[in-house]
Amino acid sequence: MRRVALLKLWTPILLGGFVVPSHVQGFSLHGFVEVAGGLRVVEDSTQPKDLVLGEGRVQLEVSQEWKAGPRLFLKTDFLGDVADEAVTVDLREGYVDYSPLPNLDLRVGRQIITWGTGDFLFINDVFPKDYISFFIGRQPQYLKLASDALKASLFVGAVSVDLVAIPFFTADTVLTGERLSFYDGLTNQIVGKDASIVLTKPARTPANTEWALRLLRQFGSYEVALYGFKGFFHSPLGVRDSPRRELFYPELAVYGGSVRGPVLEGIAYLELGYYDSLEDRAGGNPFVENSSMKYLVGYERQAWSDFTLGLQYFVEQMLHFDRFTTSQPPGAPSRDEFRHLLTLRLTQLLRYQTVELSLFVFFSPSDQDYYLRPTVAYKITDQLTGVLGANLFGGAKQSTAFGQLEANDNVYLRLTYGF
Amino acid sequence: MRTRNTNGLGLLWLFALLSLAIPSAEGAEKIGAEEVMKRAYLAEYYPGDDMKAKVLMRLVSGDGKERIREMTMLRKDLQEGGEQRYFIYFHRPPDVREMTFMVWKYPRRNADRWLFIPALKLVRRIAADDKRSSFVGSDFSYEDISGRGVEEDVHQLVREERLDGREVYVVESRPREARGTEFSRKLSWIDKTTFLPLKEEYYDTRGDLYKVFSADELKEIQGFWTITRRTMKNVQTGHRTEATFQEVRYNLKLSDTLFTERYLRAPPAEAVR
Repeated sequence: MRRVALLKLWTPILLGGFVVPSHVQGFSLHGFVEVAGGLRVVEDSTQPKDLVLGEGRVQLEVSQEWKAGPRLFLKTDFLGDVADEAVTVDLREGYVDYSPLPNLDLRVGRQIITWGTGDFLFINDVFPKDYISFFIGRQPQYLKLASDALKASLFVGAVSVDLVAIPFFTADTVLTGERLSFYDGLTNQIVGKDASIVLTKPARTPANTEWALRLLRQFGSYEVALYGFKGFFHSPLGVRDSPRRELFYPELAVYGGSVRGPVLEGIAYLELGYYDSLEDRAGGNPFVENSSMKYLVGYERQAWSDFTLGLQYFVEQMLHFDRFTTSQPPGAPSRDEFRHLLTLRLTQLLRYQTVELSLFVFFSPSDQDYYLRPTVAYKITDQLTGVLGANLFGGAKQSTAFGQLEANDNVYLRLTYGF
Repeated sequence: MRTRNTNGLGLLWLFALLSLAIPSAEGAEKIGAEEVMKRAYLAEYYPGDDMKAKVLMRLVSGDGKERIREMTMLRKDLQEGGEQRYFIYFHRPPDVREMTFMVWKYPRRNADRWLFIPALKLVRRIAADDKRSSFVGSDFSYEDISGRGVEEDVHQLVREERLDGREVYVVESRPREARGTEFSRKLSWIDKTTFLPLKEEYYDTRGDLYKVFSADELKEIQGFWTITRRTMKNVQTGHRTEATFQEVRYNLKLSDTLFTERYLRAPPAEAVR
């Protein structure tokens, strides 16, 4: 709804862009055309279709810069979706950059905000994600969703300060049974297309504006950052009305830090964050996610020519775990106080970097589940790229993050022409 | 016999005296291999206090397939022959367009490298090893782009000769540490006037020739001799990369703050156009 409404607002500007001849200074038009298809490779009784991904997409990127003035940037996706049987227009990004002072940059509008150190693991990057796109084989850029926000970046000596105000809440795109089946904590079973979950977003009031802050400073080769966030969980981690199957986004504050730099011929990073679940600080409310501590350590290095290896170890510690266990209703799936997650990334480039073989593995020894993302990408020409990949899930239990996705294993192919 | 010998010696003496009194062709003096390579390093990688250029790379495979890399490159020297900062902004091809790449180069240790991926608004640190990694899939390694420390190799002056009408020193360089280096031996033809390498031959660990560098066009820009067109050819695969440096400018007084995360995320138009 919101996207459509905003689109109406932007359309004249967008179309205005097209009538401007390309030789006008500071104007650029780029993008890509893509076809993508993905199929479920195991039987899933909860899903009527084997097609998890079937779409034609045109992405247009328009940018207009004025000399020593603002810059306007619009990125719009036109999408024909066979799996959803829908045609949609999505303003992915639409913002204006302006620097009113030499050491102050402002960005206003729909924008993707990324910070933190993890590789597909996020602690202080609390900004919205689209996990469905990630699980069905769209381009990695679709994992990140834009926020409608104002970002101010101030540069004082060696320190940079980013302050973000997000007046309009954007939720993560999470498992709701469309396309992918998942574990429904309300009924303790795997559900699919007919899951009918009601997601209630925070009211649009000025008081519900989300705030995010990052302080970044470089010490020699090492980057040190401190982060703060006050807003909401972007995934629906609260139950408002169990019979109505209504979930909501509880209030959240996050405080954290990270350091990143060279270690032993590679890059190492450390990040941690305290998730303060503001609507259940004591941890005794079974309908709201508990507070937690999250820890991440990662290391990446080149092992040989055009081959890189990345390793991460992530721990999520539920706080007030004793109160969580005593407050859980009977029959609820058990959870551990500590969730351990390991990831491995292997990337080999071949034939003058035109072929990329890649494998990303998530593995949790505590949840006993895994998620594999193998891909082969071939740059056929400078413009045309083909990607063949798979998303493979499994686990000992139905209730864990990747175990619930066991019936959603899929193989996909994307063909992208960039211009 | 005796008389002849004496005459021969006399001639040698005469030559020696002449060579001392009259500078040889192109005004080059007798210098050691190490010194030649030091000057070549400065001439190729440190001209001016800073530089901006538009670099166009044509990557041509053995069967004639062509790929293009177009970028704007900025460089600033913190010390002559020492620490440097690089900033590279990609224009083409589409999949890397608007990516920015920043390098903080240090003598005698691995460079710090950052890459900004605009589609994700993500700043990554790159762990790639300078010595063995190809730069954007070309025949140039990172080291070929930002220079290999002179002290990393043992240099020996092999001969002096003429190459395409220019007086050159031919220097052989062997890595002090074989581990982690692709070549076992390198021959460089260093121009006696400009101290720029006109040609280089790289031999692999088996001793076979595998890469040949050639400076195809030299121009004097703001008083600095610059290789404006160069080719690196892999003679074993037939793949080659031709790099053209256009709109080269020196001493633009680039600010230190340009080489920070701020501009990695939002490169200023005037710096990358």
